[in-house]
Amino acid sequence: MGCPLALCCLLTLLLPLLTPGASMSPAERISQAYDPALYMRKNTSTVLQTYLQCQGSPLSDSGFSAPELQLSSLPPADISFKTWHALDDGEHLSRVQGPFLALTQHLQLMGNDQRDPNPGSPILLAQLSDARLRAQGLLGNMAAIKAALGLPTPPVEDTPGLVPFGASAFKKKRRGYIVTGEYGHWPDRAMRDLALLKAKYPI
Amino acid sequence: MLFQIQISRMKTSNVIWVGNYSTVVKRDPVLHWSWKSELPLECATHFVRMRSRVDDAKIPEPRFWSNWSSWKEADAQKSLGRDPLFLFPKDKLVEEGSNVTICYMSRNQQDNISCYLEGQQIHGEQLDSNVSAFKLNKVSFIRKTGTNIFCKVDQKDVIKGIVLFVSKVLEEPKDFSCETQDFKTLTCTWDPGTDTSLPKRSSQSYTLFESFSGKKILCEHKNSCNWQVDSDSQEMYNFTLVAENALGNRSVSVLFSLTHRVHPKTPYNLFLKNVSGTKATVTWKVHPIGNYSTLLCQLDLLGEGNVIQQHNVSIKENGEYLLSELEPDTEYMARVRCADANHFWKWSGSISQKFITAEAAPSEALDVWRNVKSVSGRPTVTLFWKPLSKLHANGKILSYNVTVENLDRLSGLEVHSVPATANGTELTLDQDSYQIHVTALNSAGPSPASVIVVSGDPGNEEVEEERVNGTEDGFSVSWKPQSGKAIGYVVEWCDHPQDLPCDLQWKNLSSNTTSTVISSGAFRPGVRYNFRIYEISTERMAYLLEKKAGYLKELAPSDNPQVVVSNLTSHSFTLSWKDYSTDSQPGFIQGYYVYLRSKAEKECHPGFKKATLPDKSACCQHRIDNPEQKTFVMENLQPESVYEFLVTPYTSAGSGPLDAFTKVTTPDEYSHILIRIILPMIVCVLLIMITCYLKSQWMKEKCYPDIPDPYKSNVLSLIKSKENPHLTIMNVSDCVPDAIEVIHKPEGSKIQFLGASKSLTETEFTKPAYLYLLPAEKNYSGPGPCICFENLTYNEAAADSGSCGHFPVTPEALPGQPGPLTSPENLLKALEKNYMNSLGETAAGEASLNYVSQLASQMSGDKDSLPANPPEPVLCSEYKMQMAIPLGLASPPPAENSGLSSTTPLDQSEHYR
Repeated sequence: MGCPLALCCLLTLLLPLLTPGASMSPAERISQAYDPALYMRKNTSTVLQTYLQCQGSPLSDSGFSAPELQLSSLPPADISFKTWHALDDGEHLSRVQGPFLALTQHLQLMGNDQRDPNPGSPILLAQLSDARLRAQGLLGNMAAIKAALGLPTPPVEDTPGLVPFGASAFKKKRRGYIVTGEYGHWPDRAMRDLALLKAKYPI
Repeated sequence: MLFQIQISRMKTSNVIWVGNYSTVVKRDPVLHWSWKSELPLECATHFVRMRSRVDDAKIPEPRFWSNWSSWKEADAQKSLGRDPLFLFPKDKLVEEGSNVTICYMSRNQQDNISCYLEGQQIHGEQLDSNVSAFKLNKVSFIRKTGTNIFCKVDQKDVIKGIVLFVSKVLEEPKDFSCETQDFKTLTCTWDPGTDTSLPKRSSQSYTLFESFSGKKILCEHKNSCNWQVDSDSQEMYNFTLVAENALGNRSVSVLFSLTHRVHPKTPYNLFLKNVSGTKATVTWKVHPIGNYSTLLCQLDLLGEGNVIQQHNVSIKENGEYLLSELEPDTEYMARVRCADANHFWKWSGSISQKFITAEAAPSEALDVWRNVKSVSGRPTVTLFWKPLSKLHANGKILSYNVTVENLDRLSGLEVHSVPATANGTELTLDQDSYQIHVTALNSAGPSPASVIVVSGDPGNEEVEEERVNGTEDGFSVSWKPQSGKAIGYVVEWCDHPQDLPCDLQWKNLSSNTTSTVISSGAFRPGVRYNFRIYEISTERMAYLLEKKAGYLKELAPSDNPQVVVSNLTSHSFTLSWKDYSTDSQPGFIQGYYVYLRSKAEKECHPGFKKATLPDKSACCQHRIDNPEQKTFVMENLQPESVYEFLVTPYTSAGSGPLDAFTKVTTPDEYSHILIRIILPMIVCVLLIMITCYLKSQWMKEKCYPDIPDPYKSNVLSLIKSKENPHLTIMNVSDCVPDAIEVIHKPEGSKIQFLGASKSLTETEFTKPAYLYLLPAEKNYSGPGPCICFENLTYNEAAADSGSCGHFPVTPEALPGQPGPLTSPENLLKALEKNYMNSLGETAAGEASLNYVSQLASQMSGDKDSLPANPPEPVLCSEYKMQMAIPLGLASPPPAENSGLSSTTPLDQSEHYR
């Protein structure tokens, strides 16, 4: 049941990428991007749970949290409300696009990291792949909205920069923990940005 | 050269290891030697030094050590970064069960550091102010993603960790063996055991090494390897199988002769030929092994999964075997496998083929039994037979043939074909004897005939029934031989005697048997089973020998009989339950219990004893031991009392339910007397009343007619007796009326008088009318006077207007009339006078003026209507006279002394009575 639904959502996400020249109003673009973002947010916890089940203690311990753990290549989604509220339309979209680009790259890296230690866990690998595609779809939707709003669409800055390929197994596990954690936060931020735009540009 | 090496940790004086290393030293040599430290080198500075000595036997003793080299320092800490905490070794791979030492190094001595293994805190040994080591003994495999060990600095957000990859232990290959199927390839197989693969590290690999040839191959599979046999020259092989992974290796060897390891290939082309009912030929082929090898093949014949026959056949290439003693129409499986006949090593794989033998004629006669009954006066024989078992049917039964032969008369045979689905048939015969042959047919032919002889005469059916006891095993039935010429016996019964059909069963027994146990899965407790034992004569006729009846287990009756109360008196009543059948009960009825209870009587009657019912209430019980006694008289009862009774049968298992008592109230003592007297009286009165009602007309005519018969009048007899015995009464037929005038008009309607046009109003006719019969002629000279009927509607005017001269009474007619005629005496006298005049003294001319009328009785309900018939003499009639008086004569006052002085005018509606 979940698989056809996920496939349908993925097609919805990728549709704007496939039809970039379609002329739609900003409101339609925003509305089109909002529902997939909502679905994406609801499923982020599934990826995190599956990932933690494969890693062991301390990552899989109940109640484990390490807010201090951060990746310099993946900015946190937290932002002060005042700052967020002062952003204009273009900034709302641009400040989400960069982290999502980083997310897609880290999700890809996670897939590579887990392919070796988890050959017997196809579920985790599939979920990571789906998450990456959703993030890419959201990126495409953001770009389409910007174009519809008549905003400049410069190439998104590649924030992650250097990726530490030679990390130890523990570092990889921890990195995956941070990525899946941020993957749970950024869709929420993106959905709120889209909700704001949706209210501003009603259909 | 021999080198002695010393290794120190932390400081040079702390020597932790000393060892020798011997090697051949050549010119400009660069020697390599390695040492593996338990403690990760990153956690502590290590120092090494060495010295050497000649280690050559050619060089004589004494041999001296060189001086120690200077200490060389190995300090990995210098290459570390500036992180506050380090944990080593990273991503170490160890075998399950081994010991591992890990260490952490902190930059800040003040930090309080705690370490955990899979969530459990571990405590180590502090090697230095900022270095601690933890020794993990016998680490176990937890998951393929590794065992996590991490340390964190308290009060700081610093977590460092390592992953320890624990591999499963590499096992020695098991069941290692090699064999050949064709002397060209040796196939070696083994059980690899546990997979030791880990992330980024593949599972163990296997290498096969043969010592005689010195060849070595890397096996492609984890559990098998193929070795090519180069030539026939090598007979013996010594294989070593080496299993190897990143942590070590295990090996196993086997030595064998090639000819002793022949495992033939699976035979092929297995066929069945010439399959008959009892025989079949099996053929197969094998792959040849060398030029001179002989194979031993095992041929199994399986039926229903079990091996029935087993045969060994030695062949080169083609095998063939004739299977016999097979059962017709039976499915078998032929299975063949082969092995080297000279040096048995292993059976080849098996090849099998199913086949079904041909059908044969049924081998056994049917087990036939019969039931003879009379339908419409003609004997009807129902034949039953049991289907042949698969063993005896030898094929699919297509039909049954029933041949009927009359033994008493020469007649043709009757042949009936019965479908295979039937297990019997019905024949209508006559009183002759018949021999019946029953055979079963399949495609190969008929079965032997089963013969039975039946006769229209049912024989002696009056055999006394005996009882038989049932046990868990069934009914043990025995009988006494009668004729001594029996060829067998048959016991017959019904599995379901309460159903229709009752599922007739029978059991054939030999002639020397006089008892048997009848068992059936259908037998149920509480059901009466009837067994009939027949003797089979030499003529194959069955004669009833004995009857038995019994229960597998008797049960208590479930129902009580329907009891009828009769002969109810004040002191007794009769109970009867004659419709109760004792044969269809769940046990042999041994008698009945009669229960009686009454609130009025505390003591039991004679013949009764006290009993307690299940509801703890007390009552009186009487036991009837005769099951055929189905009436009982309750006596010595109290009048006008309520009694409750219950009749319940009992068997050896108990009595029926004690729940539904019936109430009876005895009447009082006099009620029967009342019934005997009053009831007949009421009936008689009713009969009389009915008779009176039906004969009311007759009674009326006899007792109180509307017009009395003067001949029967008492007046006449009185007159006759007193004065003139010759006095007679005028006959009505003697009077010839010439007209009838009706002057009565009831309820306001007008009446037209005959011969007069004047009408009278209703008010004028409120009095009774009179009907006059007038003479036709004034000169009428008939023998007597006319009759005048009293009519309360009489009117003088009408009388005047009519031609009929109403007979005025002449003065002579009433001489000496002393007074009015209102009194009976006067009336009597007047009547006497009138009668005298009319009958004897009145002249013919004068007679037309006198009429004598019979007065209708006042009892009559209809004075207005004329009688349909002439008046007839009635004995009890009252006779009256009335006279019509002309108006002119009537008008004078009554004071006038005239013959009419006693008359009252009719318009005053007066008349004489």
